[in-house]
Formats: sequence, C-alpha cells, structure tokens
Amino acid sequence: MKRISQIPFSPFLIAVLFIGGMQFSVNGPFRDLAALGPPPTPADNQQMVDADGFPIATDPKVELGKILFYDNRLSGDASISCADCHSDEFGWTDGSDLCRGYAGTSHWRNCQTLINSAYFAKLFWDGASKSLEAQAVSAASGGVSGNGEKDMMEERLRQVPAYVERFKAVFGTKWPNLADAWRAIAAYERTLIQTETPFDRYMRGDKSALSEDEIAGMALFEGKAQCIQCHDGALLTDEKYYNLGVPENPAFAEDASRQITFRFEQYAKGVPEEIYRTTKTDLGLYYVTKRPEDMGKFRTPMLRYLLYSAPYMHNGAFYTLEEVVAFYNEGGGEDQITRNFGFGTKTDQIPALGLTQTEQRQLVAFLESTSGEEIRSERPVLPEYGSMILEEGDE
Amino acid sequence: MKALSAAFLVPFVLVAFFGNQNPALPDGDESDLVELGRYLFFDPRLSGDGSLSCASCHIPSKGWADGEALSTSYPGSEGFRNTKSLLNASRVDYFYWDGRLDGSDAETQVRDSITETHFMNMDGRLMLERLKQIPEYVQLFSDALAQEPSFGGTLKAISAFEKTLVTGASPFDLQTMSEQAKQGKKVFDTHCSTCHSGPDFTDGLPHNLGVPDNPAVFDDPVRHATYRAFIKFLGVPGYMNIRQDVGHYSVTKRAKDMGAFFTPSLRQVADTAPYMHNGVLETLEDVVAFYSARGPALSAGEQRGLVAFLHALSGPVPVVDEPSLPRYKAIDNWMEVRN
Repeated sequence: MKRISQIPFSPFLIAVLFIGGMQFSVNGPFRDLAALGPPPTPADNQQMVDADGFPIATDPKVELGKILFYDNRLSGDASISCADCHSDEFGWTDGSDLCRGYAGTSHWRNCQTLINSAYFAKLFWDGASKSLEAQAVSAASGGVSGNGEKDMMEERLRQVPAYVERFKAVFGTKWPNLADAWRAIAAYERTLIQTETPFDRYMRGDKSALSEDEIAGMALFEGKAQCIQCHDGALLTDEKYYNLGVPENPAFAEDASRQITFRFEQYAKGVPEEIYRTTKTDLGLYYVTKRPEDMGKFRTPMLRYLLYSAPYMHNGAFYTLEEVVAFYNEGGGEDQITRNFGFGTKTDQIPALGLTQTEQRQLVAFLESTSGEEIRSERPVLPEYGSMILEEGDE
Repeated sequence: MKALSAAFLVPFVLVAFFGNQNPALPDGDESDLVELGRYLFFDPRLSGDGSLSCASCHIPSKGWADGEALSTSYPGSEGFRNTKSLLNASRVDYFYWDGRLDGSDAETQVRDSITETHFMNMDGRLMLERLKQIPEYVQLFSDALAQEPSFGGTLKAISAFEKTLVTGASPFDLQTMSEQAKQGKKVFDTHCSTCHSGPDFTDGLPHNLGVPDNPAVFDDPVRHATYRAFIKFLGVPGYMNIRQDVGHYSVTKRAKDMGAFFTPSLRQVADTAPYMHNGVLETLEDVVAFYSARGPALSAGEQRGLVAFLHALSGPVPVVDEPSLPRYKAIDNWMEVRN
C-alpha cells in the first residue's frame, strides 16, 4: 500500500481500470464498424459504375470477364477455371477445408470467397498479390492451382473468334492480350459485392435490421470479445497479419498429395533450405517478407458472407462459426511456430475471453448478420474455338 | 554409301549387335541409373496433371514413336509435328525436327520434354516433390546417384535409360539383304545418300524438301494455337499470321532455313510410320513416290527396291518391360521427420 500511495492520482487510475474492465474496453487504435460503400477501382483498369459508384454487370468488360472466369482454357490442361475453386454454389469458394487444386495435385490453403474481395488492398492469406488482376494470373499459372502457361493461354484466347471481337471492343486491341484477360476478370470480380446485409442496413440507420441477439453480439464484438481490435471498419478487417495459433489441418500428416504440395510451396516460395527441411507449419506472411517475426501470420479475413463460405481460417481448420468463436474464447491455440522453431510469433491480442454460452451464440448471430442474401450466378455459354482469318495486309 | 567403308561400319555393327544380344545395360551405378530412368520414363506423374509420361508419345510397341501423324500433346493442346523415334536417338547431332537442341545434351532434351507447355507442362519443383513422396524412388535415387530425388537426377536417369534404346544389326549391317533390297541400295546410293549419309543415313543438316503441308496443323484450332504459342516462345517474328511450319528458321531466323527440317536417321524407319516432320506421308511407298515425283522419276521397280532397302535398315529392337509403378505414400511420422 505504501508504494501504491506514492503513485500520484492512484485512486483515479484504479477507477479507470475498473470502469474500463467493466466496459471491456478494447485497446485501440481501430476504426468503427460501418456500412460498406462502393469498392475502389484501380486507375489502370477502370470500369462502368452506377450513380452510387458500384461496378455494373452490363459493362462489356465485366461481361467478358465473367465468361473468362468460367473458361477452363485459362489453365494448363484446360480442365479448371476460376469458377471451379470459386463457385457460387459454395459461397464463391470450393467448400473444402483445403482447396482442391489442379488435376494431379492438391492445394494447401482454404479458398477465400470472392464476394467483396474487391475491397482488399492485397490478396491471398499471406498478402502475396497486390491486386485482383495479379491474383488472377497467380491462380491461373501456379503449379497447384491452374498450371497454365502464359503464351499458351493467350494463344487459346486468340483462337476463339468471339473473344477476338470482345477484346477488340473492350480493350481496342487487334488480338486478345492475356494481361487484359486478367483485367476483365478482375472487373467482373468487382461486381461480386454484397452490401445489402442486415448489418449494413443497421449501420445505415435501420435499427430494426438486427435482432436483439445480433445487437448483443455486436456489443460483444466491440467489447468483451475484443474482435474489433483486428476486425474493424466497414470490411471488418484491418488487413494486417497475425498468428493466432490455429491448429494444423490433419490432412498434412495423413495425405501424401498434401505433403507433396506442402514441400513444393516451401521450395517455390524460396525459403532457406533449413526452413524447407524443418517446417511443418504454413509460415504465412514470412513467405512474402522472409522475416522470422512474420512466421505463421495470416491476413485478418473480412467477416462478411460467412454464412456461405465455410470452412474457416487459412487452412480450413474450423467448419462452423461456433468452432471459431470457441477457439477465440479459449484465447486461440498453441503457437505452431514455437512448436516448429522454438520462438513464438503468436499475437498477445487474443486473451481467453470468458464468454458464456449465450454470449457465444449472440456473437455467432452477429457474424451471420453480415452475410446478406446468397449471390448466385448463371454459368455463361463459353465461345468455341474457330479458325483465325489471315487479314489482308498482315504479315 | 561410297563414303561408308565396311571397315568404318564394323565397330558400330558389333556394338549394335552385341548390345542387342546382351541387354544394353551397363554395369554398376550406371545400371542403377538406367533402372531408375526406366521407371521415370513410364511415370505419368512427371507431367503437370499426371496424365502423360514419356512413353505416352514414345511407345515401345510403335517404334518408340506414337504412330500418329501429329504427336499427342498435353491436354488442352495438340501436337503440330510427328513424334520422332527414340531408337538410336543418342546418336543424333541435333534433337527435334527443327534441330533446336544439341544432340550431345540429352538431359536438356529430357528437361524440355518435361517442362514444355505442350509436352508435359510440369513445374520441375513440384515434380521432384512428387518423386520424394514415393519410397521406392527415394531408394532408387539413393542407389543410383547417392542423393534424394532431384530434378537434375531425373534428367540424368531418363537420358541414361534412353541411351540404351539402341537397335541391333539390320540385314543391311549383316549383309543379308534380299536381292530386291540390294537393287534398292543402288538406287539409294545414287539418289538418296547425299543427305542420308553416314552410319545412320543422315547428314545431320536441315533441308527444305517441299513436303506438303499437313492441313490439320492450321485447320484444327487447338493445333494452330499450340503451334503459335510455340513459335511465339521461340521468337519467330510475325507469328500471328504464319501459316506454314517454319522449321529450322525458328532457331536461326535465317530465310534459308524457312521450312527446313533435319534429315532423319533411316535406321528402323520401317517401324516408325507415318513419315516426314508433319506425318503427312503414311507409308514408305508414299515417301518414295514423293521423292520420285520431285524427280528424278523412279520406275515402279526402282521404287519397290528402294522400299525393300529401307526395310532392310531395321534390326532387333531392345525389349523393355514396362515397370509396375510404385505409389505415393504418406509419410507416417510427418511431424517428426525432416522434409
């Protein structure tokens, strides 16, 4: 007591701590929750938008991008399209814990939904792509995703008369250029947006849009459960990277094909040999930065469209939102980096929460309120190959 | 044939003959390497989607070619040239019809086949991780190369295996040709041996013979796209509007090489129909008739004799058993062992 009394204004500090504890105040800085507005569009890939700034589906660039999105010829053996792993039937993912991957291979991470991906500054769980355009080419050409070779994919497009016409109309080029295919696909993806959710309506002032449980869940989200520390703003993500101690997906210990891909990814991402030899856990952001302190960190996912896009986490470790909430309630899991390397990178921002069963249910109710109606898509008819006409005056 | 003395031929004949009598497998480490190569040659896991092996296009029962006018390609693409036989391929000066690779560098030819988009379209890094997942291969690599499965080791092993694909002595080598074939040889010496010279009946040089186009290359949209992607990759100018096979020009970019293809060996030629770089001629009779039509014209008897002579250039083919391929196996104590 003597020492405490030496601290000036100590009764005041104690009061602040007490009141703060009662209110479960969360360490800032973070942005307030908000309704989602229109997505950004890059300066080098403009597209038509409506009066509110939302990309429109009737834009010829978007129409072209939609067809390309479904076109299996944008892969190595013409067996797989963007839509195969980002299917509207599974919340624009493939519905698996770990993505299916290219024929003869397996992928190694969970497919993320494309709904609202337009808002992300970077793509992939480790933020390896800086735009939807760059993400598309990585997915189409990666050895365990599309395995397409660029010259071959480009010449296939040029062999489809309807594409020659559409690319000419949209991009003004004589022949389709592959880089423009990714632009068109990204433009299409920027129309895959869901802002009409109960949560968004509530944030725009319709206080009847959320149920009592959902409102209670939102209070927990911003308070006792501390979710908002990382899941903030209109997108419900800070787009930063954290290690939560997500448990390993057991498939890696059991499935030969996943083991192949796990090692391939270490090799392909250029880690030092000793790390290639020893790691048994996905190192996440480390592959991009090569800084040990970034090992095991993954980008905070947006908490939208969750109703349709299970399973969750970078490795699909959890199939339900209840499991996810229970995981956080225990303060996350064991740091896989410590297990592999002896030092830790797990965030200290996820203490055990002490949520009651009711509170966990309310939190799940809130997380479901950010989904809105399911967005479905009609598969377009793919244009067929045809002969290329040699034009007069060409050489 | 004037330049080809009997003395010059003897060592070759002996090697070829005895190589066939006793399976052409070297001793010791080399034989381990060949054994590894035999497995890998037949393994479709060396292609991107696991659908094609070397043996998909170099089929043992089809003269180690594929019997098609235009070769099978990776799914989603279609071949635009005739598959060459691997028999005696270790003796060529240049690989491929357009001569784009050095014949002394078989490993690069194997690499090209594995990684080329329209052949096997394989990421080499993924390939070696597949091989590491097959315990039998880990053992074979250890025995043959004292290393874990590697991309370079794969190239060494397959090229070592291919070097064993040597044919035995033919009736021509053994001087047991029929009378008709002997008559054909005279025609050959007069009209053919300028380009089809030396022990393998090739000058190892490119020539444009005016072989008719195979219309499938440009009429089939997928073949056309495949061909275009390929000559684009090789840096051929104006590739969008080219409607002929540019041949060796794609290597040199010299006008004189436009439409020129390397003289093929004639050994085992009777086993490897159809013929020419684009498979446009189905039989040896067609080939001889093609040359006769170009002139000088040959009589029907001369043509028959020439065909008989060409048949006399085939010797016994090495017998290779297709291996039963080992399977992927999950690593049991995955979390504990080093990768």
